[in-house]
Amino acid sequence: MSTTAIMAHMIPYFPDRELSYAAAHGLIDSKVDYLEVQFPFSDPSADGPTIEDACGRALASGFSTARGFEFVHTLVDRGAPPVFIMTYAGIAYASGVKEFCDLAKQSGAAGLIIPDLPYDYDEGLYEAGIAQGLAIVPVVAPSTTPDRLAELLKVQPEYVYAALRVGITGAATELGQDNLDFLDRVGASGAKVMAGFGIRSRDQVRMLSEHVHAVVVGSAFVKAISAAAAAAGPDEPAAAAEAVYSAVETLVSALRPD
Amino acid sequence: MPQHEYRAFKNTFGEFGGRYVAEVLRPPLDELEAAFIAAMNDPQYRAEFDSICTEYIGRPTPLLHARNTSREIGGAQIYIKLEGLANTGAHKINNAVGQALLAKRMGKTRIIAETGAGQHGVATAAICAKLGLECCIYMGEVDIARQKPNVFCMELYGAEVRPVSGGSRTLKDAVNEALRDWAASFANTHYLIGSALGPSPFPDMVREFQSVVGKETKAQLKAAGVVPDALVACVGGGSNSIGFFSPYLESETPRLIGVEAGGRGMNTGEHAARMNGLGKTGIVQGYKSLFLVDDDGQVQATHSVSAGLDYPGIGPQLAHLGSIGRIEFTRATDTEALEALKLFARNEGVIFALESAHGGAAALKLAAELPPSATVVVNMSGRGDKDIFITAREIAPESWKRFLEQEVQTL
Repeated sequence: MSTTAIMAHMIPYFPDRELSYAAAHGLIDSKVDYLEVQFPFSDPSADGPTIEDACGRALASGFSTARGFEFVHTLVDRGAPPVFIMTYAGIAYASGVKEFCDLAKQSGAAGLIIPDLPYDYDEGLYEAGIAQGLAIVPVVAPSTTPDRLAELLKVQPEYVYAALRVGITGAATELGQDNLDFLDRVGASGAKVMAGFGIRSRDQVRMLSEHVHAVVVGSAFVKAISAAAAAAGPDEPAAAAEAVYSAVETLVSALRPD
Repeated sequence: MPQHEYRAFKNTFGEFGGRYVAEVLRPPLDELEAAFIAAMNDPQYRAEFDSICTEYIGRPTPLLHARNTSREIGGAQIYIKLEGLANTGAHKINNAVGQALLAKRMGKTRIIAETGAGQHGVATAAICAKLGLECCIYMGEVDIARQKPNVFCMELYGAEVRPVSGGSRTLKDAVNEALRDWAASFANTHYLIGSALGPSPFPDMVREFQSVVGKETKAQLKAAGVVPDALVACVGGGSNSIGFFSPYLESETPRLIGVEAGGRGMNTGEHAARMNGLGKTGIVQGYKSLFLVDDDGQVQATHSVSAGLDYPGIGPQLAHLGSIGRIEFTRATDTEALEALKLFARNEGVIFALESAHGGAAALKLAAELPPSATVVVNMSGRGDKDIFITAREIAPESWKRFLEQEVQTL
């Protein structure tokens, strides 16, 4: 039996406000170990089409930064596992990076993942995050050079998010020895490694279990939520909420090794 | 090409610029910066660039004294840098050649690019054809619909044009899609950005390759014995203006005037002007600059009659030079641009691209305020052939409609 943690990714207000709460409740009740809550940005250039479309729908459903923090706050009150807010530099910068950290802390979030605020262009993110006791999670890729990896590990991050391949979220990932070696290199620093990009099956989770602290599942949840909502249709909000709730539960149990 | 030695760039312009990218894109950007500096210090690379400028682009492009227009206005003498006479129809080819040669030097076999109006896509596709590089152009579906002739040309040059259906389906979305491609493909692929924006080193690199326009103009003015009072250029992302202005950035004269798209009005979504307090400082697509974003940082809708001017952000060096007052910014509306286009066509026998016509409109206004002894130089960054489906609809809708109906029947 593996102890690999699962971080489930979701987007508030996708496909709409109610259904995103239903999805979150499903994830909390199925006892995922971490929640990654993505604050949508109009131009998510590091995400693939699945998450890009979902972000567009969330914005059209009325997402705002203030509502995002309210969403996190509500989940934390409901007993959510540690919540990491993922977003893009433009969103954090618009609030002011320090202010964004303050708001994140107040909402009860455990940490922030902002890939396009790297340590040397961070706008004060690491300083403000550390001051607030927030985990600032650097995102590394297999192409990250040893020098940069050493440099970004200098702040001794508690967690490091490792993308399992170059490219964007959501595309298929073949796990090979190269991936695993890369994860081991990152993990050697003592940071808890969260690995993502293209994780959608129990076999992948099992294969990674020796090498990472957690696996991140993103696009697969977005797709499951989208499919459940679409199947239920817009006229039966209660049924749709139930369908979304059980769709994420089903996916969580499909990912967990027996 | 500049003769001084190139060292590392600062990568920022005042508070703007930078390299705000995920780690996955750092290796290709770091590699590109090093390769660019090495190339600029290599006489052989520069000689190759210069030779393509002469024998392929058709440099130097002429500087025309617009005598009839100057006389009609009764104000300053207007000169037009006919950059649109460059092969492929616009200044975009200068940067495309520079970067494509660089990519080849770096051992890349595939080029990707974004395009809005299509001029950058056409330039990139053309030089890729010439240099034997595989070429893929990302273009928003909205832009494909309004710039079909350019799509046709790109495909004729052998490029693949990939329609972008995400977001607003315009230039910014094409940039997102190209960034996505590059994040997975940089081992063999160079992303050839067409505007003086994006993460460093792109703004520096694009300015250097486009500086040929400004240097030529300066030499041509000197040869004509003319001291310019003002230089005027349209500003989308800012590649033609920063190149055109580049020899004068460190001096106090002449006045440098950037012209943004005033569109149909000043309500959100009706224009694409980011300067003069309209844009906010933000971080989008890897760089910090002034953008049309809302209070949460979400990018807002824009509009311009010209596809090349409706990008929501401005190049970081221009934002900086605007903030310190070296460059003045003004706007021209869709209508003013069309009027300027008609006037220069009738008076000078020159058809401006719709983008460049925004510069033309501002030059006309400025010239009228100055005495005949003054000189205003406007960069016609592109020629207007590509816009015929837009300008004809606006200027002569009935006869154009009849023509199109006839064409459809003939097909």
